[in-house]
Amino acid sequence: MSVAALASINEHLLKSIGVGIAILRYSDLQFYFHNAAFADWFGDPRDSAVVAQSIADLREAAGDALLETGRFSGEVSIKPKRRTLVISISLSLADIDGERMIVAECQNITRMRELEQMIESYSSMVERNTRALEREKERVEKLLLNLMPRSVYEEYKTFGVVTPQLYRHVSVLMLDFVGFTNFAEENDPTVTLGELNDIFTAFDRISEQFGVERIKTIGDAYLAVSGMPEPLPDHATAVANCAVRFLRYLERRNQSHTYKWQARVGLGSGAAVGSVVGVQKYVYDVFGPAVNMAARLQVFAHPMKIVAPTSMKFDLIDGFQLDDIGVYKIKGLGDVDLMNVESNLQLIR
Amino acid sequence: MAGTTFEKYGGFATVSKVVMSFYERVLDDDEVGPYFDDIDMPRLMDHQTKLVASLMGGPSAMSDERLAAVHRHLTITDREFDVIATLLGEAMTEHGMEPADVDGMVRTIEAKRGLIVHRDAA
Repeated sequence: MSVAALASINEHLLKSIGVGIAILRYSDLQFYFHNAAFADWFGDPRDSAVVAQSIADLREAAGDALLETGRFSGEVSIKPKRRTLVISISLSLADIDGERMIVAECQNITRMRELEQMIESYSSMVERNTRALEREKERVEKLLLNLMPRSVYEEYKTFGVVTPQLYRHVSVLMLDFVGFTNFAEENDPTVTLGELNDIFTAFDRISEQFGVERIKTIGDAYLAVSGMPEPLPDHATAVANCAVRFLRYLERRNQSHTYKWQARVGLGSGAAVGSVVGVQKYVYDVFGPAVNMAARLQVFAHPMKIVAPTSMKFDLIDGFQLDDIGVYKIKGLGDVDLMNVESNLQLIR
Repeated sequence: MAGTTFEKYGGFATVSKVVMSFYERVLDDDEVGPYFDDIDMPRLMDHQTKLVASLMGGPSAMSDERLAAVHRHLTITDREFDVIATLLGEAMTEHGMEPADVDGMVRTIEAKRGLIVHRDAA
């Protein structure tokens, strides 16, 4: 193959490839050669305003770089029609026939830039969603923590089930309001709920202080336990402390509120089983002798009194004023020796 | 997102192709293209990515309010709306979406017509 034929093939190749090529004189920036791809994007360099503008944009930066390193890379955005084209330009110096020339290689990186932008939009969307999911998860967790103690929730989260557990030494508090049914009938439901909400929230705060866990409220009844799921050596005094403070809170509240509330409280001690009940509508619940005891004794208590079995005396005697009230037949439990529990005198009323 | 068209066609991998193809078709179309003469690429790309992802049931942030807001100052006609819907349908078909799913998308866009078409436009 002759040298001339080879040169012709080379020129043909340059003209047809997808890379835009142009060669211009360094001294006066006159175009010496350009291929089809170049003209496609920029138009004919001899009379193209786009080329003039691109040269003007790059001239200063490119001039310095070419002098120092003989190379320059940059980018121009052009808009031949509606679609913005992003063209990357690499310039290098070359000596051709003793004359200093600039060789410009141009590549169309529009698609790359568009994809980058798309990925950016998409990832911002996904991130926003992730944050929303995160918040949602926290809300669900908070809700579930209202339904069950944290340690039970952790077990549920890890294993998907909660194994019923027997706790041998727990104390239970059951509180019920006097005349609640009448109140609910006579007042607007929102008033009733507002009152319950207010009082139970206060009870929850008191319970938390003493390491007592509210298990549930059933209408106007409030059931709380101590000693489960985390064992607590002084579970009996914990519930008794809560009980006297519940009643004291109600007394104080009655002094300043329109609606006056009175409650009965029963305490129980012994064994109980704690578990999540149900599959779809699950709820953490407690069962067992201690719970039955508290529930029965609460019914038995006079308004604003706390009744407990004397079996709890040993635990409570140091912290509370205990008054024996005798042996009573309690449904389902037989004869039980009972006492009233009150706060010690040093507790300021 | 389970069970959505977005999931069915492999998520972002397909969305990106549909968006790209839709973007090109819209700009090349002389009837609706002029609307995008002065809109820069990042903005349009952002809008279309969210639109397509949202139509396919992906993780989208495109609310009806936003859709209405970005089109409010334009006087888009029913005819132009139809053109865009067709172009989007073509872009989806091109990337292997089944006719039933493309129809579903078109119906979804149809439901948004009131938000996009200018009320006084002929």
